[in-house]
Amino acid sequence: MSLAARHLEANGISTVIMGCAKDIVEHCGVPRFLFSDFPLGNSAGKPFDVPSQVQTLELALRVLERAPGPRTTVQSPLRWNDDARWKLDYNDLSKLSPEKIAERKKEFEAVKNIAKGKREGV
Amino acid sequence: MATTTTAPAIEFAAEHDTPIPYMQRTRDYYEALGYAPYRWAHYADVPFTPLARPLAQSRVGLITTAAPFQPEAGDQGPGAVYNAGAKFYKVYSVPMDSTPDLRISHVGYDRAHTTAEDINAYLPLARLREAAAAGRVGSLAARLHGAPTNRSHRTTLEVDVIELLDRCRQDAIDAAILVPS
Repeated sequence: MSLAARHLEANGISTVIMGCAKDIVEHCGVPRFLFSDFPLGNSAGKPFDVPSQVQTLELALRVLERAPGPRTTVQSPLRWNDDARWKLDYNDLSKLSPEKIAERKKEFEAVKNIAKGKREGV
Repeated sequence: MATTTTAPAIEFAAEHDTPIPYMQRTRDYYEALGYAPYRWAHYADVPFTPLARPLAQSRVGLITTAAPFQPEAGDQGPGAVYNAGAKFYKVYSVPMDSTPDLRISHVGYDRAHTTAEDINAYLPLARLREAAAAGRVGSLAARLHGAPTNRSHRTTLEVDVIELLDRCRQDAIDAAILVPS
C-alpha cells in the first residue's frame, strides 16, 4: 500500500495512508500517514464506534490538507485501551513452546502453498 | 524551612506502551520458525504532491487491501483464521455508491485483539460518504479500488501500482486515501 501511495504521489495525486503499522509504513517512506495505535485491522477507527471512525477520517483529511512535506506522520490521540498490554502479544515468541513453533511452521507452509496455488492459477 | 514537601511522582507511560515494532517482531518470529529474514520496502526519497485545490473542491478516491467476499473460498467471517485462499491477485474496482462486502481474512490483522466484525474499522467508505455529503470533500471517485497484498515487491511495483494509477487517472481524482488492513 505504501508503494501505491508513492507511485500515485509521484504522478501528481496527493495521498494519505491510514494505518496501524507505524514502523513498516515509515520504513518504506510515504508522503502522508495518519497512524492509529490500534491492533492491525483497525486503520479506519474502532469497531462499532462511529465517533472514533469520524475522528480518524477527519484527522486523515487534515493530514492530506496540511502536511508540510513528505514523511509527515500524525498519530491519532485515540487509545485502543487504557491498558497497553495488548501490544505485547503480537508474534510473542516467549509465549510459544518449541512444539507450538513447529506447529506454526506447518501452518505457515500450508498457507504459503495455498497462496502459491492461487497465484499460479490466475 | 520547617516543612518538607514531597515532589509529585513522575508518571511516565509504561515502557511497552509504544507503537508495536512489527518489523522486529516479525523478523524474530520467522527466524524462530526457520525462515530467512523478510526485506520490507525501503526508500530514502519520498515524493510529495501538495493538494492542488481545497479539499472541499477536490475529488477523492479510496484504495483498500480488503478482499471481495468469495463464497467458495472458506471462512472469511469475523475472527476467521488467516485465509490465504481468500487472497486476490489483480486490482479490482467496485462502485463507491455500493455497499461492497469486503473482508480481511486474507491478511495478518491482529486476531488476538480484534475480530474484523465491523467493516467501518478497516474501510472508511461510510464515513467518507458522510464527509462528501457534508461538503468536507468536494466529491468522491465513482469507484474504489482494491490493491492485492502480494508478497512480491516486483509484482506490486511492476503491475499493481501501475494499474492503480491508471484507474485513478480514469477517475480524475485529486487525492487518494489508502487504507491497508
